Amino acid sequence: MAEDPNFTLNKASHASHCLRCLRGLPGSFAEADTSRVAIGFYCLGALDILGLLSQKVNESVRQGYIDWIYNQQTASPLGTGFRPSPYSSVSTSASDSQQDDHLFDRPNLIMTYTALLSLAILRDDLTRVDRKGLVNLVRHSQQDDGSFSAFPGKGEADLRIVYTAFAICHMLDDWSSVNIDKAISFIRTCRTYEGGYGEVPFSEAQGGPTYCALASLHLLPAEYSSSATLSVKERRSTVRWLAQNQAKDGGFRGRTEKVADACYSFWCGASLRILGAANEVDEASNADFLNRCQFRTGGIAKTPNEVPDPYHTYLSLAALAMYPPKTENLTWSLPRLDPLLNATEETARWARDHLRISAIS
Amino acid sequence: MSSRTSSPDFPPLYAERPEWSDVVPIPQNDEDANPIAPIFYTPEYKDATDYFRGIVKTGEKSKRVLELTESIIRLNPAHYSAWQYRYQTLLSTSSSLSDELTLMDTYATEFLKTYQVWHHRRLLLTLLHQPPSSPSPSSPTPTTTTSPTHTPTTTPPLPLQAELTFITSALRTDAKNYHTWAYRQWVLSHFSRPELWSGEISFVESMLDEDVRNNSAWHHRFFVVFASGVREGDEDREEVRRRELAYTKEKIALAPNNGSAWNYLRGILTHTHTPFATQADFVLPYTLPYPSPSQTEPLDKDVDVKMTDEDKDTDKDEKNSSPENTVVDLENPRPEAGADLPSPLAIEFMADIYEERGGKEDVLSAVELWKSLRDEHDTIRKNYWEFRINDALHPSR
Ligand SMILES: [Zn+2]
Repeated sequence: MAEDPNFTLNKASHASHCLRCLRGLPGSFAEADTSRVAIGFYCLGALDILGLLSQKVNESVRQGYIDWIYNQQTASPLGTGFRPSPYSSVSTSASDSQQDDHLFDRPNLIMTYTALLSLAILRDDLTRVDRKGLVNLVRHSQQDDGSFSAFPGKGEADLRIVYTAFAICHMLDDWSSVNIDKAISFIRTCRTYEGGYGEVPFSEAQGGPTYCALASLHLLPAEYSSSATLSVKERRSTVRWLAQNQAKDGGFRGRTEKVADACYSFWCGASLRILGAANEVDEASNADFLNRCQFRTGGIAKTPNEVPDPYHTYLSLAALAMYPPKTENLTWSLPRLDPLLNATEETARWARDHLRISAIS
Repeated sequence: MSSRTSSPDFPPLYAERPEWSDVVPIPQNDEDANPIAPIFYTPEYKDATDYFRGIVKTGEKSKRVLELTESIIRLNPAHYSAWQYRYQTLLSTSSSLSDELTLMDTYATEFLKTYQVWHHRRLLLTLLHQPPSSPSPSSPTPTTTTSPTHTPTTTPPLPLQAELTFITSALRTDAKNYHTWAYRQWVLSHFSRPELWSGEISFVESMLDEDVRNNSAWHHRFFVVFASGVREGDEDREEVRRRELAYTKEKIALAPNNGSAWNYLRGILTHTHTPFATQADFVLPYTLPYPSPSQTEPLDKDVDVKMTDEDKDTDKDEKNSSPENTVVDLENPRPEAGADLPSPLAIEFMADIYEERGGKEDVLSAVELWKSLRDEHDTIRKNYWEFRINDALHPSR
């Protein structure tokens, strides 16, 4: 195709969007209170993929972010992990006893996973991470049916949280706290007749939980590969469902007959890559769709002409890193992405090398 | 500092209210040099959360805490600490859970994209409909130090049927909301009462009458009919299979390019171990460029793969052209006039029939169909069809 001048990845303006969000969010974003660590991950992760982190954020600010993330590390009797922000903390100073705090200021597995990756993106050496506490947290978050809840103890559980627990175990290279067989059987019960996975048993096949299921199964240690691998028939129907989710406009939808949304270029695209079916994506039209989701002043939105946010910005870039369009235009060249941990290969390697339990003497 | 007047829309800040003067507000401790994504809170939100932290510190559980947590939830429905504290407060003040559920009806439509709204509802419903013998709720509860001292209020809870009615009305606001559907599936499977299940098929049908492409409704149908056990009246599985096939094919006739209906058709067949080939007569007209109402003649020899379970392995040449082919077949509704044909989903299905059959000639027929998808009818998936072609021609690869 003739090179369209509008077919350009506006790296600098996407970096600006992420930097603006890192610096602060308007009051209408109060809901971010319970996900600031995750928002930080999307912003830092986007800057990492864009290759602009060290250029746009100076060393002292990077150190400041590292310190802030560590301030979210919270110990509880049921394990240590990271909270989304200090929004529920009632300690007025660091020396304050956290004794009565932990009920409402608890570590959260989703935040823990995004905090660990953010620290890796910032190339922190991860020595301040309480590894034993992490193992404990994972242990106490597993439910009787094999699933995981975001918080230790009994609670709401779904495939997203299974994935974050598995990603943490994988980075730690320590699965001692998990009943793996039960977890695998939970994942299997979330599979639907369409070939995708729902967030909880009985729910509709959706791109996000499908990624979580497939990535979880592939993160497991090699000795589980026989029980974790999909059968030939299962794999076929999953690949089919994923491929059918690429819409005519080039983007991916999360569920059958819905419209495309930029984030599913990652969730479905990474799923296909995990299944070894990456060739089946039409990367040119996928990139064309994401190109049109770029917002004039930076950031990427879920659909063309929508307002951008860090979540869709990060996931679109991650999708493009896996499925770069074939073009002379160098703005589209991005570093390779690790589809299982959802980070650049370099960052994923850093996380594994520095978090591994056996790495500390 | 305040020039604000109190009105229902702008109630006074907690800091300005004498009845809250005994609470010591605790500001958020986020004094780092470089906090990540700090939020420039509105005065209302900062005020309410400062008082919330003050309350959490003292552990107060009282009626006014219900007001405070409601203020916070209205400003940030994802504030899970406020939700959790509210739940515990409801229990320790023996508040009416039915009233709370009614309040939640409005929340569910205002904040229906928020996990917490549905989780809270789940907790309430579990307690309200706890079997009298069971000492504690058996389903998801937050870690809690307060044991549920709640004694059921004098007003008996509405029957669970009312909950399904509520969900149906919530789906009117957003017919594909993932949480709403998951919640409906939870209500049905958690309480699993025959009278709850009995209306589900007609409910699904009314949803699909509204929008035949609502995949959430199709999924729900599969959940009710196949995935969650056998319903009362559905014991004759052969009859169920027939009913489901007929329903689905009728919907495909209505909208031949509806992926949800085709996926459901695949789902029924796979679940009941029925070969795809049993549907060849039905599928064929949808693979052709335009519907031809006069075409009741035996179908084109090259693509006709009419067969039953038994003749699955026999050569295509020996097939007998059965007289049924020439009469209008109610089991195989034909595309409506003006339908957008051929349907790529039908071509894909037909290719799967050939591939399932597995003879050398069949594979070549499948390849021809995949090529037509790759080159003409479904080019967005050209790489996928290319893969199917290679996979069929070189299966050992
Ligand atoms: Zn999205």
